[in-house]
Amino acid sequence: MRGTKYLNDKTRVIVIGITGREASQVVIESEKLYPGIVKCGVTPGKGGTVLKEDCPIPVFDTVKDALKVNKLKQLVNTGLIYVPPTSVLDAVYELIDNGIKLMYVITEHVPIRDSIIIYELAREKGVTIIGGTSLGCFVPSIGRIGAIGGKDPSVAFKDGSLVVLSKSGGLTVTTSEMFKRRGFGIYMALAVGGDVIACTTFADVLPELEKDKNVQACVIMGEPGGVYEEQVAELIAKGGYTKPLAVFVAGVFQEMMPEGVAFGHAGAIVERGMGKATDKIKMLEEVGKKTGTIKVAKFYHELVNSLVSLGVKRDFGDSYTDSVKPLYNTLD
Amino acid sequence: MKLYEYETYDTIFKKYGVPVPKYLVIQHPGQNVSDFVEQCGEAVIKSQVLVGKRGKAGAVKFAKTGDEANEHVKALMETEVYGEKPVSVIIQEKASILKELYVSFTYSSKPRCPVFVISLEGGIGIEEQDPSKIFTFEINPLEGLFPYKIREYLIEIGFDDKAILRQLSEIIANMYKGFWNSESRLLEVNPLIMAGDKTNPEKQKILAIDAVTIIDDDARIAPSKIYIARGAMGRPLTKREAAAHLIDRDDHRGKAGSYVELDGDIGMMTFGGGGSTIIVETVFALGLKPANLTDIGGNPPAEKMNKISKIILSKPGLKAVLVCGGTASNTRIDVTLGEGLVSAIEEMKKDGIFPEGLVWVVRRSGPEYQKGLKMLYECFVKNGIRGVIYNSELPLTEAPQKLYEILKSKNML
Repeated sequence: MRGTKYLNDKTRVIVIGITGREASQVVIESEKLYPGIVKCGVTPGKGGTVLKEDCPIPVFDTVKDALKVNKLKQLVNTGLIYVPPTSVLDAVYELIDNGIKLMYVITEHVPIRDSIIIYELAREKGVTIIGGTSLGCFVPSIGRIGAIGGKDPSVAFKDGSLVVLSKSGGLTVTTSEMFKRRGFGIYMALAVGGDVIACTTFADVLPELEKDKNVQACVIMGEPGGVYEEQVAELIAKGGYTKPLAVFVAGVFQEMMPEGVAFGHAGAIVERGMGKATDKIKMLEEVGKKTGTIKVAKFYHELVNSLVSLGVKRDFGDSYTDSVKPLYNTLD
Repeated sequence: MKLYEYETYDTIFKKYGVPVPKYLVIQHPGQNVSDFVEQCGEAVIKSQVLVGKRGKAGAVKFAKTGDEANEHVKALMETEVYGEKPVSVIIQEKASILKELYVSFTYSSKPRCPVFVISLEGGIGIEEQDPSKIFTFEINPLEGLFPYKIREYLIEIGFDDKAILRQLSEIIANMYKGFWNSESRLLEVNPLIMAGDKTNPEKQKILAIDAVTIIDDDARIAPSKIYIARGAMGRPLTKREAAAHLIDRDDHRGKAGSYVELDGDIGMMTFGGGGSTIIVETVFALGLKPANLTDIGGNPPAEKMNKISKIILSKPGLKAVLVCGGTASNTRIDVTLGEGLVSAIEEMKKDGIFPEGLVWVVRRSGPEYQKGLKMLYECFVKNGIRGVIYNSELPLTEAPQKLYEILKSKNML
C-alpha cells in the first residue's frame, strides 16, 4: 500500500450529498486532477442520474443502492460527507450501517450533541471519522479527498517527507506552501477540523506517523479550545511519538479579549480556563525540554526555522529570499 | 448562546422537572411584587444579566416587605452589573438552606463525551474549591444517565443523607435530560440546595436556586429562534457591527459579516478562521492596534465584499489597512478583491467618504489571484492609494511585519 490510512492507493470514495453546490464543484475539480478516486455519490431523489455529462459519476438514492453494484461494493471504502449540519448524523449512520469504515465530515457547524454521538459510534464500531469541519486530506503521491489546494494544488504541494496536521482547513494549505517554498515537501496534509469534539485528533494520527517510514517529521497547527494539543504533549512524554514535531498554537491574543468573544472557528472559543493557547504551549514546551523533539514557534512564520532547529533535512532546495519583493508597489 | 437565569427556569427546568423556589420575573415595581412578598414572607431579588458573580457586584438583594422589594426592583433595574444592563429582575421565595451542592453537565474534549460534575461543597467560591472535592463522571451519550447510576456516584463521593438520596438522584437525572434535550453545551446549578420544608420540619426539599445555561449555537433549532437577542461582548453592537450582521443574514454564499470593533487604528480585512486569528495576533504582538476583527471566507460574492469593505473603511481614525489571507482553496481573489474591494473604494471615492492618506499592505493568494491583485493595483494607481501588494511568496504573518516596517519608516507609529 502506498499512502496512509487516511488516503492511499486503494482509497475509493462515495460522496454523500454529491449534487450540492460545493460537493459537485469539488468532485469535478478533483476528478480532473486525480481521476478515479471518487467512484459514486448519493443524493436522495436523484438516483439513476450522473453528476455531469463530462464527469459521469453515478448518483444513487441511498448508500445501500450504490453498494448493490458489485464493482462499487468491492472498491468503495471511504465516505465523504457534504450534507447540511443537521443531516450529518444521518449520513454517518447510513455509511456505518453499510460497512464503510473511514469517512470525512467536511460540513461545518455540526451540532455538538451530534458530534458526541458520532464519536461514540465511531469508537464502538471501530470506524475512523475525520471532522467535522475537515477540509479533507492531501497526499501528493496519491491525490486528494475534499477541496484542499483548490484548482491548482501544485502551488502549495510537492511530494516530500513532512506531515502537516491542522485544525484550520485554510492553514493546512498555507502552511504546506510555506514549507514547500523552504525546501520541504509534503507526505500528507490532513485537516482534522477545529470543532470542540473532533472525531480524529492530533494524538490519534501521530501513532500512525510514528510507524510510517516515509514520514520524517510533523508540523501541527493548533488552536484554543479542547485539549487535543495537550494530549499530543502527553503522547510524546509517554514515547508514543518520537519523530521531530514543530508546533504553532494560534489564539494567544484571545486571552486578552473580553470573555465570550467568538472569533474564527467554533472550537476557538476560549472556555472556562480550559484549553487556552498559553496552557497548550507551556505543556508542549515542558515535554519538549525533556525529549528534545518538540519546538513551539512563537510566530507562525518561524515554523520553518523551528523544524530546521530539530535537525529535519530538506527534501529539495530552499527558494527563500530574505527580501521578498512586492508584486506591486505604489508607496513612493 | 448564554441564557438568563429565568430563561433556564422557564424553558428547561419547568419542562424536565428541576424544582426551583416560586419566582416572578418583572421589569417594574408594582402590586404584584408586594403580593408575592406577602405570600412567601421573605424574598430574594436578583438582576437578570448574563455576567456571573452577581452577589459580589451587589446585584442580589433581600426583602421582607413589599415596599422593600419594590425599592430593590427599581434600583436593580437602573444599575448596570459589570457594565451590563439587566433585562429584568427575578423575585424568588427565600429558602432556608441546609446544604449546598454544585452540579453541572458539559462536554469534555478529553474523553470526548458528556460529563457530570458534582461537589458536595458548592455555593459561592466554587472556582476556588479544592479540586479533590470536585468529582467528574463520564456519561455514555448513547445510554444516557439513569438515577441509579447517580446514586452509585453519590455514595461513592460520600453523600450520606439516605432520606433524600432517591429524590436527589432523580432531580439530577432530570437536569441531564434538560441539558441533553435542550442541546446545551453547559448546564450548571450552583447551588443546588437541600432546604427545610416550612410545613413539615421532618422533610427536606431539593431546589435549584441559580442556573447557568449555554445553548449550542449550532443546535438543531438555533437558539436565536427561541430566545431574545443579546449582544456577544456584554455591550450593545456598534452601528457598523449591526450593519455587518445583516450581510450574511439573507445570503448564505460565503461569509463576510463577522465583524467586531476594537479601539485601534489598523483596518483589518482578514480571511479564513485560522488565518485571521494568526494575522491578528501577529499585529498585536508587534504592538500595532487593530481597529476591528474580520473573518471572511467561503467564497463570498462581490456584493458582500463591497459591503464589508465599506464598513471596515468607514471606521474613523484609521491610519493603515491590512488586507491579508492565506492561499485560498475556494475563494476567488478576482471576485473578492478585484471586484468587491475595488468597487467599494471607487464608490467611497465618488461619495467623498474614502479615507485618504492610509498605508495599505495586501497579501493574498488563491484562485485567480494574479488577475485579482492586478485589478487592485490598477485601482491603487488610479486613486492615488499608497501601498504594497504581495502574493504568497511572502509568508502569511510577515505581512503585518511589512506594515510595521513601513509605518515605522514613515514615522507613523
